Amino acid sequence: MVDVISGTLIVLGCAFAAIGGIGTWRFPDVLSRMHAAAKAPTLGLVLVSIGAALRIDTLLAATTLALVVILQLLTSPLGAHALSRATRRHIDAEVDAGVDELLADELALDDEVADEQ
Amino acid sequence: MVLIAAFVLLTIGTAGFLYRLLRGPTLADRVVGLDGLLSIVVIAIIVTAAERVSFVTIETVLVAVLVGFVGTAALGRFIERRGS
Repeated sequence: MVDVISGTLIVLGCAFAAIGGIGTWRFPDVLSRMHAAAKAPTLGLVLVSIGAALRIDTLLAATTLALVVILQLLTSPLGAHALSRATRRHIDAEVDAGVDELLADELALDDEVADEQ
Repeated sequence: MVLIAAFVLLTIGTAGFLYRLLRGPTLADRVVGLDGLLSIVVIAIIVTAAERVSFVTIETVLVAVLVGFVGTAALGRFIERRGS
């Protein structure tokens, strides 16, 4: 029974990693590719770790895998955020100023600088 | 059976990320591809450990996750300063 559950979780996690790869391959622009690459493999790693912890069935393995999952959940959004912010500053995309909050912030900042001068 | 299915799916994911790593077109796309390849490697290590029912290789996963984060964050800062 445990083997069936852990096998299902492992295959499901690998399927999420495959979906992330397909999205990175097929999506049309940089930011949507980052969206595919940042989230799907993270969920895949979580599912695979739960499956492996169930199958190995040792406290040491479970704690190490929990540490891996926590580290990945903490670091993956940070890396994706740094990368996407850097990309957003350098692409010449047509973005609606009412939706794009980074652009609104930067315009407000420009106004403040102009007021000071 | 589980191992074969898992590695077929991981191969599909690797093909997508590798295409993006080699093709570009921007530097950020290559960083995304490299980061995704590292997550595939991490998942493959955990799958192999689960198949062998041993935890000796799991410690390497910790190092891989941290190195991947440092690499992505550093390349993000680099792109932010240099552009493109």
